Amino acid sequence: MRRLPSEVRVGIFLLVATGVLAIISPEKVAQSLSENLGMIVKILLLSIVAVLISVAIHYLVPPDFAEAHLRGNRLRYLVYATLLGILTPGPVYAVYPVVLALKNKGVQNPILVSYITGQTIIGPARVPLEVGLFGIDFFAYRVVLAVLLGPLAGLLYILFSKWLPDKV
Amino acid sequence: MSAGHTRKPLGGTLWRTLFVVGAGALFSVALGAFIRPDAVSALKAKVRYPLQVIYAELIGFISPGPRYVSYPILVKLKELGVDAGIIIALISSHVLIEPSTSLMEAGFFGYRFPVKRFLVSLILVFLAVMFTKLLVDCFGWRLL
Repeated sequence: MRRLPSEVRVGIFLLVATGVLAIISPEKVAQSLSENLGMIVKILLLSIVAVLISVAIHYLVPPDFAEAHLRGNRLRYLVYATLLGILTPGPVYAVYPVVLALKNKGVQNPILVSYITGQTIIGPARVPLEVGLFGIDFFAYRVVLAVLLGPLAGLLYILFSKWLPDKV
Repeated sequence: MSAGHTRKPLGGTLWRTLFVVGAGALFSVALGAFIRPDAVSALKAKVRYPLQVIYAELIGFISPGPRYVSYPILVKLKELGVDAGIIIALISSHVLIEPSTSLMEAGFFGYRFPVKRFLVSLILVFLAVMFTKLLVDCFGWRLL
């Protein structure tokens, strides 16, 4: 039997958990659902925009874009890696083949850490959801934080590597 | 690139995302029915702020699922008065490290890589939240 995608499995688990809550207190859950129907619809609409942005970037940015810009091991590459990570769409699993390819080309681990941090912490597909749900100020602040945290992640990794060096 | 080539991944991704986000929204709304605002206030009063951040980070790290799934729960927490720093801790830590990706990283790069990534992520998110708290408390900046 073909294995279900991880998102579908998580979705089924959440639906079952919702069902359990509805059995425990049907009145409370029904009231909460009717009060929050508008929010659910808003989240679904914003999710459609998020997927469209993600797919568009997937086709616009060549797969070897990060690889082409991170050959070298200078400290300033921590910043480049973070920015490239932020621009790389897709789930985190999809980015590991890129990370592995970079590693095989000699890119050092602190740069990879900055890249992973940038890719995971924010991304273009989050724009509609975060702006729609939390406002433009919140999203802009998160972008600024991501740009600062990515290089810092690489620097902290270098620091920790003095105590726990990478396997050679 | 043919239109069909574009349509197939878009359709698959779209339906999977809508399914999981819809399920996440239903779950958070159902769960929200059981959370009383006074219970959230009592928890905030009992647990000191830096510890709240560590809890939020650890909850984020072990939370499963793709990144979109956490948004409905975060909206509910925001409505219950949870502050911007804790929302940032949950939103950031949910994707920075996951048990499954840590195992994958250990397989690719050795166990030291995810151990250090975990420590780095813990410190980074903590610093980000404390910086946010400083901006909100000292300068009256309203993020949410």
